[in-house]
Amino acid sequence: MLTNIISISLGAILINNFIFSQFLGCCPFLGCSNKVDTAVGMGLAVVFVMGLASAICWVIDQYILVPLGLAFLQTLAFILVIAALVQFVEMFLKKMVPSLYSALGIYLPLITTNCAVLGVVLLNVQNNYNFIESLVYGITGGVGFLLAIVLFASVRERVEFADYPECFEGFSICLVSAALVALAFMGFSGMKIF
Amino acid sequence: MNIKKQFKEGLITNNPVLVQQIGMCATMAITTTLFNGVGMGLSVLIILTCCNVVISAIRKIIPDEIRLAIFVVVIAGFVTIVDLLLQAFVPALSSALGVFIPLIVVNCIIIGRAEAFCQKMPVGASFWDGIFQGIGYTCVLIIMCVVRELLGSGRFGGGLIDIANGFRFTLDGTGGGIQIFPETFGASILSLPFGGFLTLGVLIAVMQYALKKSAKKQELAEKAEKEAEE
Amino acid sequence: MNKIVKLTIVLFLVCAIVAGVLGVVNAFTKDRIEEQNRIKTEKAYAAVLASDNGYTEVSFDKTAFPTVDSINECNNGAGWVVTTTFSGAQGSITMAVGVDTDYKCTGISIISHSETSGLGAVAASTSQAGMDFRAQFVGQDEAIALTKAGGEINAITGATITSKSVTEATSVAIKAAESLG
Repeated sequence: MLTNIISISLGAILINNFIFSQFLGCCPFLGCSNKVDTAVGMGLAVVFVMGLASAICWVIDQYILVPLGLAFLQTLAFILVIAALVQFVEMFLKKMVPSLYSALGIYLPLITTNCAVLGVVLLNVQNNYNFIESLVYGITGGVGFLLAIVLFASVRERVEFADYPECFEGFSICLVSAALVALAFMGFSGMKIF
Repeated sequence: MNIKKQFKEGLITNNPVLVQQIGMCATMAITTTLFNGVGMGLSVLIILTCCNVVISAIRKIIPDEIRLAIFVVVIAGFVTIVDLLLQAFVPALSSALGVFIPLIVVNCIIIGRAEAFCQKMPVGASFWDGIFQGIGYTCVLIIMCVVRELLGSGRFGGGLIDIANGFRFTLDGTGGGIQIFPETFGASILSLPFGGFLTLGVLIAVMQYALKKSAKKQELAEKAEKEAEE
Repeated sequence: MNKIVKLTIVLFLVCAIVAGVLGVVNAFTKDRIEEQNRIKTEKAYAAVLASDNGYTEVSFDKTAFPTVDSINECNNGAGWVVTTTFSGAQGSITMAVGVDTDYKCTGISIISHSETSGLGAVAASTSQAGMDFRAQFVGQDEAIALTKAGGEINAITGATITSKSVTEATSVAIKAAESLG
């Protein structure tokens, strides 16, 4: 059991990183990574939402959708749960941590459309994980996202001062830099713990 | 809205991936063979058009506060319909695209167009908007697939085209494609995530260069016209 | 308060309508999807051990063989097809192993994997290297091992972990078939 959890965690964070291997969560990754502080805030919010969404959606899937033969309603149910969850996180942050709330701005409600959140929930179902495994995959997937976005923010802060061709301005040079970071992450492939 | 203008916008000047820069997750993840690219592009086109039409039709009767939630529900409905139909009739595409078909729900393009366009425009304009943005998206997918496959494994049309017994299209993903040059000379790294990021980055740069150049040309032409008038 | 109730009702109605439409589409496509899944698994089984009249699943000791998903007996008595899911280099690999009545492998076929293209994925590919790799498994018994460990299977270049996982899983599959008695 423990080995399973460790291998899921390492898989989600390093080997099959949600952004650099599976491409889930690219839009906020590119949009929010211009400063390290915003990146950390966004990453932590995503960890929280992913973990909670994994847990709630697993319960809904196992105890409501599958027993009633409503597996085809998964996409609909999951996205509604995620939307509601993000709404709560938004209200919570507005009250408790207003500085982070204003720093994240438009990107907070955009966590709803973050492929990583819906992706991790769907992958939990696809991989037939039990409750603990789903929760672990959700949280560590979020940690992988956090790692990726923070690393990339530091790369971007340097790229800002670099001298690149004018036509590469904006997301274009970001994507090329991301390609190089993805190349670095490939070094983790084949890593097997047990 | 002028249809010709919408066509040009959807394809070039307001291309969802290259200009608006939304909906990039799926673009990079699945563009490894032409079969995937065309399949995903057409699925998104159908879903986008249907959603646009429905949302535009109900835009006057839905309360403003929950409009995003209703958009999401409608989009999830159409995505599930397309997902079930693909599983039943084109299972090869369903297993190749995997989790990215249900992920079309959170594809920023669909929600973005619903929010920015269909809320205010009549059904006809929304319908054409869906079609042209969908075509623009499919074109980008096809270009990315062709570049990645060709430079990555020397192949064109993997999964879709089969030349073993004369040229034909295989709709079940088994076509071997046309081998333009031997696979060993290709840079197989292009079919990995690195290739996805790099190809999209370069494509966006090319598009930005082309748009800037044409904008400059127009500026010069207008200046020349003004001077000619004086 | 009234407004919130009204909004909730509207949202609920929209969800109900959409769910209803989905229910209709699901009823319409359900049988066909099941049929497609059945064809897919039968094709995967036939690739390792052909059976003219289908396969029947048999029960086995799950606790002794946790990586084995199912053992399917060929209705024509040619042997069994064992499906197993195990961890490869980059995630899980699901594989079908054909075992004949002498408990020798008749072939392997990889149903799904997420191995690196060009390296571990060669084990599943239709290229010459992939087919040669899988051909080595025919006729092997449960003592199958890589050449490095004294056996006869040559690992794929640059994909030792994948090759080892596949070899070990084949051995487990043969043992599982033997355990049926």
